[in-house]
Order: sequence, then structure tokens, then C-alpha cells
Amino acid sequence: MSTTQNSVDNASLEDRLYTVKYEDPGESHLDVKVTGICEERCRTDDCVDVCPADVWREGEDGVPHIAYENCLECSSCRFACPHNNVVWTYPENGSGVTYSFG
Amino acid sequence: MSEDDDRATPPAEPNYDDEFDAIVVGAGPAGSASALTMADAGLDVIMIERGAYPGAKNVFGGVLYTPTIRELTDIDDAPLERYVGEKRFGMLSPEDETAVSVKPNQWHQEPHNDSYTVLRGDFDEWFAEQAVEAGATLITETTVTDLIREDDGQIVGVDTDRPEGELRAPVVVLAEGGNSLVAEGADLKDPSPREDVAVAVKEVIEFPGDGNEIEDRFRLTEDSGVSYHYFGEGAVGDAFGGAFMYTNDDTVSIGLAYRIEDAVTSQPKPEQTLNEFKSHPAVAPLVRGGRTVEYSAKTIPEGGADAMPDLVHDGAVLVGDTAGLVLNNGVHLEGTNMAVESGYHAGNAIITAMANDRTDANALLEYPRNLEESFVVQNLERYEWLMETAVEDKDLLFRDLPRAIADASEEYFSIDRDPKAEHADEAKDRILQTIGGWSGAAKLAWRYRKVMTS
Repeated sequence: MSTTQNSVDNASLEDRLYTVKYEDPGESHLDVKVTGICEERCRTDDCVDVCPADVWREGEDGVPHIAYENCLECSSCRFACPHNNVVWTYPENGSGVTYSFG
Repeated sequence: MSEDDDRATPPAEPNYDDEFDAIVVGAGPAGSASALTMADAGLDVIMIERGAYPGAKNVFGGVLYTPTIRELTDIDDAPLERYVGEKRFGMLSPEDETAVSVKPNQWHQEPHNDSYTVLRGDFDEWFAEQAVEAGATLITETTVTDLIREDDGQIVGVDTDRPEGELRAPVVVLAEGGNSLVAEGADLKDPSPREDVAVAVKEVIEFPGDGNEIEDRFRLTEDSGVSYHYFGEGAVGDAFGGAFMYTNDDTVSIGLAYRIEDAVTSQPKPEQTLNEFKSHPAVAPLVRGGRTVEYSAKTIPEGGADAMPDLVHDGAVLVGDTAGLVLNNGVHLEGTNMAVESGYHAGNAIITAMANDRTDANALLEYPRNLEESFVVQNLERYEWLMETAVEDKDLLFRDLPRAIADASEEYFSIDRDPKAEHADEAKDRILQTIGGWSGAAKLAWRYRKVMTS
């Protein structure tokens, strides 16, 4: 693959997330409709795989842990979920992420 | 609307606190274009933006194509970053690049082929300001939560997350972007299936140095810039999509987009795919030593003409990404210009409808009719087959062919003591083997004949 000469210092995801302004909405704008669907029917973890910000993380009980304060508001999780089980609302009053260069 | 029967003679003291001629949900390019069009015609318009300012929630690649914006306003003061002086299409195997660069001298002359890199945080704010200067009202940090309907189904306003946040108008323009929760919540469109939606990640990178870093790295003069598109395994692995790099004034935008359908099955996570693209031998030298100053992500509706929802409803219209107006066929990447065009046609249709004192779906049909006549729908329809065919040929087009072409190029140009004819034959054989011989090549050419001929 790439040589040392060509290597790029890729920032960690945590460093990347620090680059955006974020105002905590105070409560999660993300949830699952029916936890039983995650526990019993979902074998794919598509929400976990697609998320560019590690918001959706595999939970031990089969229900994803949601780190909503990482959310970049792309909403790929709600499109990805094969069971239409992701509840996605806009963070209230303009809170959540603010982009300067978007 | 019945209460607007006396529109021709407005009351002496109109109540502008909660009643407008039109409500625009979202102050992105589609929303601002519609608001500007309507405000110019004297309508009382309010734009509702959930971000701290227009553009605060937006993510864009990207090159902005400006013909329609010029039609609407003077762009001399617009926060454009650089005009596009070079387009490059790079086909990436895991380690190689085979590229075509397009640099017409004409692009260096005004109006620069109407193609400019922009940062949406700046551009959207400026464009919304044009609508405000034309008379529109803008409120920010306010989220529309629902539409208000009469008993007969006519939409007559919106509810927001503000206390007593109801606003009323005979028509609502839904310019929410691709994540259109209000339109979906009101059953004006279905959520897009994931095979019609791409996930995109992007970084903005700045470089330490003397201030000429961008010009030096990309061999630019003055305010010219580049638009680089990449496809193949080295761009997005085995997914269906592509990567990009654009030069801004002092930064570079770099990122990629691919189908969610692929992201959930066979890909590393999006930020890892971006890491691999940035580390590709053909890409790394361009961004080496840079510092990431912003990381962003969004979804893009790429379903094409077949996936467009109904654009008009009783008291509402859908524009921009909410209407699925994005063209991405690998060569042409467009969306913001289509958003502006749709906002413009929607605005004009609303002006006509309001003049007739009707805003039911039939009264608003001028919008979809004019949009169908415009480049927006014509281009979407023209490339519908291409997207469908390219998905079928994904492995050949994005994995096998880039590898074979890189391999054949290496062979064709290899320097040793063998005659050139032997290298040329070998190179030709490697490509033919990949595409199934001369008959395979003929079939492929026939499948994609419309790219050039219609």
C-alpha cells in the first residue's frame, strides 16, 4: 500500500469530532422505536456500520448504545436501519452540530 | 384560501406576526431561491431555518454552478472561493491512478463556465441575505415540527418548536434538504429506500506555510481552482460511489460518498474509508502535512428521476434535496444548482397561484410543468438508465476495469529492451481479457452508447 513518504497523518475520529461546534440539545434526538427489534430481530447492526461518527455502538444487551452527542446530523442511521426502527428528530432550537465550512 | 379573498385590497393593518403569504421551511439554496423569487414579486415570505444561521447545518462537496443564481441576483459580492479551472477524473485501483484532466483555457475567462467552489456556511448565509434584502423575513434556531392542515386536507401553515410557534400561510415550501422529516411526517413523501441514498463524509483541510500552499500544491494561478473526482477501489473500496477533492481559497475540501446499501454490507466505516482514500499514493501527496479543520457528514438522495416524490400538494411544494433533485453519474455531480432552479420555479408557480387566490395542488402545477421543461428533470431522466446500468456493472466498472487499465498502462509504457509492439499487444490483451474479448467490448460499448449519442 502507500509508502511512508505518502502517508497522511489521519486524525482520529475523536479529533475530527472536536472540529465541529456542538451544542448539547440536553436530551437525545435519537432513539429506537422498539428495543425488542434490536434485541431479537436485528442481526446486522447496520446503524453501527454506517454511522460516520460512532453514534451507534453495539450494546451488550443487543440494543445499540446511542452516543447522541457525537451526532453530525447526517441521518444515515435512519435510512440504514432495515427495520425502520430508528427515531430521528431534529435537535431543538438549532442545537446539535454547527458547521463553519460545510 | 377563503380568508384571503380580499387579498387585492390588503387590510390597513395586516397582522404579520403569524400570517404570511408563504412559509419556506429551510434556508438552504432551494429555500432561499424560492423566498427571493417570491419576495421580489412582493409576496410576504418567511423563511424558517433550524441552524444558528443559514448554512450552519449544511454540508456540500462542492462546486456551485451559478447560471440560475445570476438570474436571481448579482453574484459579484457572493462568497465564492475559486472558479474551477481544471476538472480531473481519476480512476483509482488500490495503488494506481489513471486520470483524465480537462483544462480549457476558456474557463479562465469570465464567467468561468459558471463553476465555483464554495463553502456552504458562507454561501448559504449570503444567499439567504439576498432574499431578506428583497423583503423576506428570516428566523433561525427554529425547527418546524409539523404542518397545519384544514379539515379538507389543505395545508395552511406550520408548527414550530417555539412557544406559541404556529405560523400560517396559504402555501408552504418544503426545502428541508435530504433529511426531510416534516415532509415525511406529513405524508407528502415516503422515506427513501437505502439503495437510493448515499452517505457522504468530508474534511476541510488547511496547510501550514506561506499562504500560497493551495496554489503551489495544485499548480494554480490567482483565483483559479480545481475539481478532482475519483472512482474505483482506491476511492471508495468495493462500494458504489466516488471521492472528491476541491480547492477553496485557503483550504481543501476532500471527501467521498457511497450508497448506504454498500456501507452496511461490505465497507469499513465511512471515516476509515476516507482515511484509506487520503492515504492512496495518488492522493496523499496532495494533502500531506495538512490539518483537518472540519469533519462533516450528510446523506444525499441519489434515487434519480424515478425516485422523485410528488412535487405539489394542497398548500405545499417540495424543492431541492427534499424533492430528490440530485444528479450524480460520476461525471456530473450536481444538486445545489438543481435546488436553486427548483426553488425559482416553485416560487414563480406560487406567485401565479396566489394571484388567482388558489393554492391547492392543481393551482401549483406550473411548478412541476416548468421543472420538467428545465435542465433539472431533463438531466435526471437522461441519466436514469446510466445509474441503473452502472449498478449492474459495478464490479467491472469500479474494480476490474480500473485495475486492468492501470495494469495495461504500466505495460504499454514499460521501458525495457523488448519492441513496443509486444508491450502494446500485451496491454491490449489485459484489457480485452477483463471485458470479455472483442465481443465483450462491443457489448459494453453498446450498453453505454447513450453516454455520447443521446
